[in-house]
Amino acid sequence: MPGWTSLKWLLWTSLYLVPVVFLPWAISRTWVYHHNQELPLNPQQLFRRGELGLPSLILACSVIWNLLQSQFMVHTIALGSVIMGLCGIMAAAVWVETYCRQASGRDLRPERAWRDSRSLALLVFSMASVLQILLDRFESVVRQ
Amino acid sequence: MRLGDASEAVAVLSFAFALLLVFFPVVFPQMIVRSWQRGQLTPMMAVFAFLLDTCLYLRVAYLQSAKPKPVAAACLGSLPLLVVGGLSVLLRSAVYHSLSRGGTNLQARVDEEILAHTYLGLVSAVFLPFLVIRLLQPFKAANS
Repeated sequence: MPGWTSLKWLLWTSLYLVPVVFLPWAISRTWVYHHNQELPLNPQQLFRRGELGLPSLILACSVIWNLLQSQFMVHTIALGSVIMGLCGIMAAAVWVETYCRQASGRDLRPERAWRDSRSLALLVFSMASVLQILLDRFESVVRQ
Repeated sequence: MRLGDASEAVAVLSFAFALLLVFFPVVFPQMIVRSWQRGQLTPMMAVFAFLLDTCLYLRVAYLQSAKPKPVAAACLGSLPLLVVGGLSVLLRSAVYHSLSRGGTNLQARVDEEILAHTYLGLVSAVFLPFLVIRLLQPFKAANS
């Protein structure tokens, strides 16, 4: 029998897509409408400097916080926090690297920054989902 | 080598793990716990991580029309085995501490610890070798 209660964590983490992707897109559309401008507004253009890495770090921090509040053994908490933190930092580092390349006038490749930040954001998002499901299962075991 | 190349594969792995947990909440964890009790989990994880890392590396080398480098190959060959081996020692320690701490529903708690370590071990064994290669790249570029 499927564990539908675990599915709520997939939906819960999906809620991050609203402020991360939808809100900037909606605000930029409003700006374009008010200023009568023609701008490309697809996510690839909007986040071409690797901005998706920044909310990934925030998502990673919130999962680490949940891990620290859990009753898992300290080994598991440490391992999960380190891996999650590393992925979040590497996602944010894409934006930092792109900014440094742009500011220093070095070889800037927006399509590479977009691809890397998208892949790392997907990784953080999927890891957050699995860890929340594992936390949920562990909490239900502790409550029994 | 970009981290984005490995991130997509680890994200797919995570989503597959999440879906297995949602749709087979009893059978899938039981399979993992049983194979850990028989001592088959660590070798299976090591082989799986090694094969996945090798396939990913060869795919990236093929896409970039680059020759596989010996240092990167050695890193990808040894690190998954080291990570899985180290994390299996950590898991044993976590299980030992969990059992010695006592409490209610002890077996179920230990099973959840094994499940969490299996997931984190898989992600670490696939992702960390690529992270090490990525972090070593600036040093290699500075020396050449």
